[in-house]
Amino acid sequence: MNIRFPKSLRIIALSLIAIGILALALSGVFTSFSRWIVSPLTSVQTWVSLQYQGVENFVSASQDIREIREQNTALEAENARMQAQIVELQQQLVEFEILSALLEFARANPEHQYIGASVIGRDPSPFLNYIIINRGSDDGLRRGMPVVTQNGLAGRVVQVTATGARVSLITDPVTRINVRVEPSRSAAVLAGSITGDITLEQIPQDDDVNPGNLILTSGLGGNYPANIIVGQITSVRSRENALFQSASVQPVTDFSDLSIVLVITNFEPVDFSPLIPESGTP
Amino acid sequence: MSILLSIPTLGLVAILQSAVVSRLPLNRGVADLMLVVLIAIALQKTVTTSWQWSIVGGLFVDFLSGLPFGIFTVSYLLATGLALILRERIWRFSFLMQLLVVLFGTLFSHAISFLALFLQGGEIPLDTVLQMVTLPSIILNFMLSLPIFILIQDILEQVNPQE
Repeated sequence: MNIRFPKSLRIIALSLIAIGILALALSGVFTSFSRWIVSPLTSVQTWVSLQYQGVENFVSASQDIREIREQNTALEAENARMQAQIVELQQQLVEFEILSALLEFARANPEHQYIGASVIGRDPSPFLNYIIINRGSDDGLRRGMPVVTQNGLAGRVVQVTATGARVSLITDPVTRINVRVEPSRSAAVLAGSITGDITLEQIPQDDDVNPGNLILTSGLGGNYPANIIVGQITSVRSRENALFQSASVQPVTDFSDLSIVLVITNFEPVDFSPLIPESGTP
Repeated sequence: MSILLSIPTLGLVAILQSAVVSRLPLNRGVADLMLVVLIAIALQKTVTTSWQWSIVGGLFVDFLSGLPFGIFTVSYLLATGLALILRERIWRFSFLMQLLVVLFGTLFSHAISFLALFLQGGEIPLDTVLQMVTLPSIILNFMLSLPIFILIQDILEQVNPQE
């Protein structure tokens, strides 16, 4: 026997069942039931999702790695370029500081005319304290011109070529310079040595010289202009029976790190040789 | 080796000596790159122009130095002569010979330089020179000897592969 309900009644019944299920769901009756059903589904979904992500990463990784490598290469190149620029700028800064100090020296001593020169080498012999500079007779340099740094006296030009010159430093073993000690104004002779140390010789025994006194060129002898600072006395040696005192001098110029110097071009060394009587002349 | 090749090669060595090596002192001594190079060349059995190379190298350094002209040329010729004598008499242990000749070459060079400065009026105490100039220079020359000797040997093997 087949009972057939009217269509409207079926709709009403289905609606009531749906509302009832919803009401039961909202009231929490289905919670434990849904957990029992959903938990395995979630686990399976998680596993599938992870596998999918793995495959997706594998597919897209080669593209990403290539991009990262390209970026890394570009960044490394940029880094190398910046490092080189830093080194260059540091060198320029050092040069700028030296040039500023040299300019300051030139302004403080306006009676002289100067030409700046770079130190391009040193004498191959360890017995000579000579430097080689990149200015020569083409730039107006002549033999005998004094050479200074921003701190004070460095030496003098002893040989000139068209584009270069050799400078004998004040520390050279054969160097002898007439100087005076301030404030006592004592006259003395500055001598270089093979060790690079400079000493003050022939200081009269009665003169009052002390550590800390300044040494300046005296201008005597005509090889150097007067009043260029040379160094400072560090210790004085005096013996009772000796005619002269001697002293150790700390030069104001750091000769181990010379890179730029100034050549005084308007100083003419005086040649005394015609005034020295020949042997046998009355 | 061609004598013409010596001019650019030893010119470069002289520039390196003045611009770089002389700025790296040990105490007051500096290495003599030209001496070490010339001795390494003279000790190679395939080289027949050692004297000429020594003269060219000596002239280059003499032009650069403020010492009386010819001192380096004479020093290098003496060292080359010693190297050639040893090369003909002892046919093994080339590198030990290099050290021996560098030792005597440095002593020759410093003795002649010392004498020249002494005659010029320089007051240079001999003991100070030995302690502060000659001994450190010998040490620096020894340090340069091995790399220079190997370099010269390799270059000559490249130039004369049949040897």
